[in-house]
Amino acid sequence: MLVPSSWLRQLVSIEADDYELAESLTLAGLEVEAVEPAYPWLLLAQVARISRVEWLDEKRHISSCAIETVSGEVQVVCGAPNVREGMLTAFVPPGTEMPDGKEVKETVLYGRTSSGMLASEYELLLEGDASGIFDVSARFPDAKIGQSISEITGIEDRVFEIGITPNRPDCLSILGVARETAALFSSSVSPPQVKLDDSIPLSEVDIIINEPNLCTRYVGAAVKGVKVATSPGWLARRLLACGVRPINNIVDVTNYVLLELGQPLHAFDLETLAGPAIVVRKARKDERIVTLDGKERQLSEGMLLICDRDRPVAIAGVMGGLDTEVTEKTENILIESAWFAPSSIRRTAKALKLPTEASYRFERGVDPLIQKHAALRACQLITELAGGTFTGIRDENPVPYKPVKVMYRPGRINRLLGTQIPSDEMAEILKALGFSVKEKGPEKFETVPPSFRADIKAEEDILEEVARCHGFAKIPTSSPVATLIVERPESFRPFMGLVRSLLTSQGMSEIISYSFIGPAELKALGFREDDERMKVVKLKNPLAEDQSIMRTTLVPCMLSAISRNIRRRNLSLSLFELGAVFIDRGPGVIPEERQRCCIAITGNRFPSSWAWPDRQVDFFDLKGIFENLLAGLNCSGARFELADVPETFYEEGTQLNATVGENLIGTMGQMGRKILKGFDIGQDVFLADISLDALAKVALAGKTFVPLDRFPSVERDLSIILDDSVRAQHLLDFIGKNSPKELVCFYLFDVYRGKQVPKEKKSLGIHFVYRAKDRTLSEEEVERLHIPLQESVLREFKGSLRG
Amino acid sequence: MEDQLRSIETEALEAVEKAQDKEAIEGVKVRFLGRKGVLTSILKGLGKLPREERPRIGKLANEVKVQIERAIKARLKILEKTAGPRLIKGFDPTLPGRSLPLGHSHPITQILDEVCSVFERLGFSAAQGPEIELDFYNFEALNIPPDHPARDMQDTFYVDDKVLLRTHTSPIQVRTMELMKPPIRIIAPGKVYRCDSDITHTPMFHQVEGLMVDEHVSFAHLKGILTHFAQEIFHKDTKVRFRPSFFPFTEPSAEIDIQCVICKGDGCRVCSQTGWLEVLGAGLVHPQVFRHVGIDPEKYSGFAFGLGIERIAMLKYGINDIRLFYDNDMRFLDQF
Repeated sequence: MLVPSSWLRQLVSIEADDYELAESLTLAGLEVEAVEPAYPWLLLAQVARISRVEWLDEKRHISSCAIETVSGEVQVVCGAPNVREGMLTAFVPPGTEMPDGKEVKETVLYGRTSSGMLASEYELLLEGDASGIFDVSARFPDAKIGQSISEITGIEDRVFEIGITPNRPDCLSILGVARETAALFSSSVSPPQVKLDDSIPLSEVDIIINEPNLCTRYVGAAVKGVKVATSPGWLARRLLACGVRPINNIVDVTNYVLLELGQPLHAFDLETLAGPAIVVRKARKDERIVTLDGKERQLSEGMLLICDRDRPVAIAGVMGGLDTEVTEKTENILIESAWFAPSSIRRTAKALKLPTEASYRFERGVDPLIQKHAALRACQLITELAGGTFTGIRDENPVPYKPVKVMYRPGRINRLLGTQIPSDEMAEILKALGFSVKEKGPEKFETVPPSFRADIKAEEDILEEVARCHGFAKIPTSSPVATLIVERPESFRPFMGLVRSLLTSQGMSEIISYSFIGPAELKALGFREDDERMKVVKLKNPLAEDQSIMRTTLVPCMLSAISRNIRRRNLSLSLFELGAVFIDRGPGVIPEERQRCCIAITGNRFPSSWAWPDRQVDFFDLKGIFENLLAGLNCSGARFELADVPETFYEEGTQLNATVGENLIGTMGQMGRKILKGFDIGQDVFLADISLDALAKVALAGKTFVPLDRFPSVERDLSIILDDSVRAQHLLDFIGKNSPKELVCFYLFDVYRGKQVPKEKKSLGIHFVYRAKDRTLSEEEVERLHIPLQESVLREFKGSLRG
Repeated sequence: MEDQLRSIETEALEAVEKAQDKEAIEGVKVRFLGRKGVLTSILKGLGKLPREERPRIGKLANEVKVQIERAIKARLKILEKTAGPRLIKGFDPTLPGRSLPLGHSHPITQILDEVCSVFERLGFSAAQGPEIELDFYNFEALNIPPDHPARDMQDTFYVDDKVLLRTHTSPIQVRTMELMKPPIRIIAPGKVYRCDSDITHTPMFHQVEGLMVDEHVSFAHLKGILTHFAQEIFHKDTKVRFRPSFFPFTEPSAEIDIQCVICKGDGCRVCSQTGWLEVLGAGLVHPQVFRHVGIDPEKYSGFAFGLGIERIAMLKYGINDIRLFYDNDMRFLDQF
């Protein structure tokens, strides 16, 4: 809501300056977001002298003028007849937005550069004519070059930009803000007076309300014999300062009263109304109307309409019809001032995608008692500005307004606020806001809010009024005393934190991607039709196609992030993301949310350094990270196995599944090169896709302390030559299964292919550590344990000792 | 002669001060005190002076000599101290360390953790809720019926008529109160979604929701807890301002401003010249919300609050474009 200071001060008299007022309003809940000049173009337009005039086309008054401005001479092409050398006039520099919304630009006209414009009083919305440029010399002979037009004319104002919350539609008017101001500064409001005789009945128009619950009141008032013209400068300026463009004196008056009193009005050309009658009814099937903006609107059944005897003439509370609008030829006018049910207007405006100043106010709630006053105020302004005679008013009010009564308990209010405000002070606060207050017994008061405060329904609303007017700053700041032990809800957060720290401690960095992706990105992964991840949740109103479905996997998000980084030459990446994916479960129910983790590495394993040679990441770098994660989470029994049913997005033969018992924890592998190409990635990427839900179930098994070794160990190395097809995992599993209890540890220390090893064979080196809990093992004992094990390995895998 | 001595003294002391190593000091010593040194040659000329002046000048010359010697000694001591230890051949300890790269959690995660930990220290426990929500939890149970203009405050992504992407973390309040009885103290971080995208808005962002319900919880307590929070997160002297606002699920509702961290309240571009920055929304839980979940508003009261994490992160780190958080550029992530 834009509120010009001068207009506000016309309705309420206060001492405070604009900035003090802004502060007070903000601290009372009307947040003043900015205090700006009301007429910026008058500050930018400046006095300048025409030093030379060169006529380019004298017949059509086209001249090129040299203008002496405060910052030097400029050339301007001008179309005014009254230019003359030596004349002081109004120069508008390029970049200025004029009242008509157009920006003054540096252009070339008639082959001449024109750097700015010379403006008429009319163009500047000043009181004056449009026939020529502003003759400053004649009107302000003492004016000096460089002074702003605002300065010489004394026309200036500030406008408050106030954020009005949806509960305070009463403040969507100058009057409303004035009432708040009066309450805050212990002043009073002097609303505009109307001198018209409101007892003259409107005889020539029938008003029939078929929907009394949707239109509880309809006031019609007529003015005859008006002359439609442009509005005077003061009116046009005020409208513009409030963000409303002036049109003609009739429409401008309806807008002026809307801004002043908060009551949306509509002016019909009385002669265009069939009947003449006004019928308020719901739209029928297939009705249409061309609205003021020239667009034909298809109406849906049930939308509230204003009709004449034959057809719709306005969409109630939203916008009038083109056929019945006020034009230059209009002489007789019907003013509509009505109250419409908020939800009906809101639904209509939403359905038609046609939010207007009127619908904005109706859907929030207009004062149900102001319709008649507003109609009369408009009629009076019209007669003053456009001539004509007020010929009568009719007030149909099938459902009269019933004031609400609200009880409140000062003791409870004080308890909830943590204050000790005396009940007298509470009553004073409420009275200043226009509430009536009655004591109904000990600790019990009844209050009736004014008609414009539809937001006040219960004790908590009274509490809020008291709190904000008393001042939040005056409410004490204290520490609650509370029960220390309270119930703790379920939360995935600590587990996520643990996973995150296990990954960052391995040098990985966390990314966060949007939860929505595009269908193309999902398709690129090539999932089969029956894959669960094809059950996508689609957004009804996405911002863009590539953000139109909710992700069912983190993989495309990760690949997009990698792709973006590579484009920016960040070629070495170790990234992970933790977050939800969404699997659709059908309409009307929320999808299944699964918590997942995606890890990916690409480029150099370590930053280039003098200390080591550069090396590209490989599969085992990723596997190591994954293994560390599982170890850090104490997932006992976690295993990596070759996948039976491979994912579609890994290179064939590179995928491993991490499992614990029957549970699949996640998959890992080298990303398919074709898929990478789809994401514009030209380098190898190794990726793991992990279910945190599954991981959390098996993680953090209890730990049992193992006593430290007391006796020395005996160690053995075994190098065997095997067929290349033997999997290391099988070999290690076999040893594990067949190991004597004294074999406390064994590991693979070497894998070798090449010289000294036949083709299609490989050499594996395994290190064995033997130890007994209760004694030092002798070499002989170890031989007795190790040789049979070695023999069985060689037998099982058809291997031979490497010589 | 006297002046000559004085100027030699000054010159010598200056030279000593300037000397950067032992050799330079040695040079100074030779130049002034050596056998062919400046001072020595003066002393040699003593004999040419009138007899009565000789003792005085002699004494003076001696003093100058002592001064210079003392300065040389002191300077040598300093140089010895700063020279450092001797180097081992072939070992250059100034080579950069063999460091493995550090991993970084996302700046949003870091701020979320920081925010949550302030409240966890006060006995609030983490809670959670679904990111794709029912209209009922996101709006209706929070006292925002269909067709209510307050729905305009949040541009909502819809899945269908009943299902939407949560526009705030407040539905977690309702879900928690459905499951738990007071006293309740929770802190609920999470992703939220609104269809809005520009330099200050991303369609997805993070909020933290807090809720405290107990007997006798008051607005003064809300002020106490949130002032404490602002001062923990920003600075212990941070000024905090509570200002009336509107949220359908709290009454009274407040917006909480902190004194601008950039201009310290003088007014700047970041705070739109107001000197204040809005960081939190809060209020006493609306009785209607309590009724929805079966908590007696006559017996219990509570406060709820919510804050946007991106905003806090932008203020703390001086980030000027919110979209950077979701761009995931390593050059950005590596900075935190």
